[in-house]
Amino acid sequence: MLDAVRAEALKLRRHRATWMMVWIYPIAITLIVAGMLVYGAFRAHGVPAPAQPALEWIRESTTLWKLPASPPGRFLIAGFCAVVFAGEYGWNTWKLIIPARARWQLIAAKWVVALGFLTIALIAADLITLIGSWLGSFQGDGIPAGVTLAAVLEAHWQAGAHALLPIVYTIAFAGLFAILTQSILATVILSIALVVIEGLWPLIGLFLHQYVPALTETLVRVLPFYHLANLKTWASGAGLTMPLGPDAVVSMSWGMSFAVLMGWILAAAAATQLRFLRQDLN
Amino acid sequence: MSTDEPGGAPALELRALGKTYGRGAGAKRAVDDVSLTVRGGEVYGFLGPNGAGKSTTIRMALGLIRPSDGDALLFGRPVSDRQALRRVGSLVDGGTFYPFLSGRDNLRVLARTQGHDGARIEAVLERVDLARDAKRKVKGYSTGMKQRLGVAAALLDDPDLVILDEPANGLDAAGIQDMRTLLRGLAADGKAVFLSSHLLHEVEQICDRVAIVHKGQLLREATVREMLDQGEALRIEAEPLDAAAAALEGRWPVERIAGALKVRARRAEAPAIVRTLVEASADIFHMGPDDQSLEEIFLTMTRDSDA
Repeated sequence: MLDAVRAEALKLRRHRATWMMVWIYPIAITLIVAGMLVYGAFRAHGVPAPAQPALEWIRESTTLWKLPASPPGRFLIAGFCAVVFAGEYGWNTWKLIIPARARWQLIAAKWVVALGFLTIALIAADLITLIGSWLGSFQGDGIPAGVTLAAVLEAHWQAGAHALLPIVYTIAFAGLFAILTQSILATVILSIALVVIEGLWPLIGLFLHQYVPALTETLVRVLPFYHLANLKTWASGAGLTMPLGPDAVVSMSWGMSFAVLMGWILAAAAATQLRFLRQDLN
Repeated sequence: MSTDEPGGAPALELRALGKTYGRGAGAKRAVDDVSLTVRGGEVYGFLGPNGAGKSTTIRMALGLIRPSDGDALLFGRPVSDRQALRRVGSLVDGGTFYPFLSGRDNLRVLARTQGHDGARIEAVLERVDLARDAKRKVKGYSTGMKQRLGVAAALLDDPDLVILDEPANGLDAAGIQDMRTLLRGLAADGKAVFLSSHLLHEVEQICDRVAIVHKGQLLREATVREMLDQGEALRIEAEPLDAAAAALEGRWPVERIAGALKVRARRAEAPAIVRTLVEASADIFHMGPDDQSLEEIFLTMTRDSDA
């Protein structure tokens, strides 16, 4: 299995899609940090800004981890996964590697590489952000008192953990779409549609509830859209209450939303494997 | 030396293999009841015109598509057996590779996927004469270079069974000559080589045994010698030609070809033919073997099948 992962990494680490949709995070952050440091070095020193509370400074330093769960971040992840999973159909290369390994391993290796590359890129980008903040502290506004390395690491660890589920969810469905459609473009379109539906889900819920209230409530509880949004808001401290009508709301615990979303992720991953196992590759 | 299993299982065995695409009225039978065996130390040619079902059969033998009927066995085990499948090197569709990687990196990816360190990469690149271009991206390769890289990929893990789909496609005369030497060398090492081709002249020179497939069905399986013997004929130049033809037609199949007669008969029957012609008062100017190529035999068989 490790060899299959190495092969996948060797294949994709220098691919244009990886540069544009994964390595873009540390590259863009490096450019932004460098630009800010240069600007800081040449700007006229005016009235110093009021000191920022330590907790707020730490929370702001974790902003990067919100990117993967945002619509643009999800589009990038889906685009990358479309290349990872559907690329073999376009390059006609499944027949090159299928005889060498069990099919489930080939798909599992793609999962590991997609998640691994994204994690590496985001951690690198996060480290660059922190180093930039530390370097910037020498140019004017220092790091607020009370900011400790332990507190920073804990906050970033939590932010990273909260970002993981949306990333895995996006990979799971992009991978499934790729195996079903066997097309990079179709995978991207379906993944974008999924993100758009998620964004519109509160409005769709309100609309449907007028006509089929019981079914709408069931759909909100069963489908993954509410739960993804609920977990995002739980990461900020409180859950999401989704109004469906004048006297109908859906509000669920973190644990329940986590369980439902994990169920969807596992179902999508299993469907991907099952479909691929039975696929004729001409 | 042979790479067959000690128990005698052949390297490749197809048992009543069949494949139907689609369902109902739109169903198309691509392969129908194909059975054959390939043993270590031999080069086996799978001949057929385009669309005969050669590639579909090869894909079933490699586990790329699922048979509708029958079984494909590798070293006596089903094609789903990973250990058996890993003893097979293959080239399908002229070698399909990652266009954004170099030739060498493509082999590295393949070596990793196969679970080894790729120690043979440089050796196989040399063997297919691609070492100098190994740094270049595959998207810049010619068809012949891709074909040679495909053969290198097939040989990467030193397989016991090599399955090649149209290996001579895109190769120039020197490349075809090299391929011929390479394949005979593999067979000499005891490996089983199964190749599909529509280049009958090549197959005639490389293969020990051949199978002719047409419209998904196996028409005949035999050694190349048996195939050629089957088509044994004599070419006779005689005057008057009509009288000679009329005298022979009762006993042998006769065909008129460019001022001569082609008589389907063995060399041992030549004296009887001469006697018949003399009795018919025909003057004989020339009589000799009319060597049929595999191509002519193939065309005859597929034409008969169409009829």
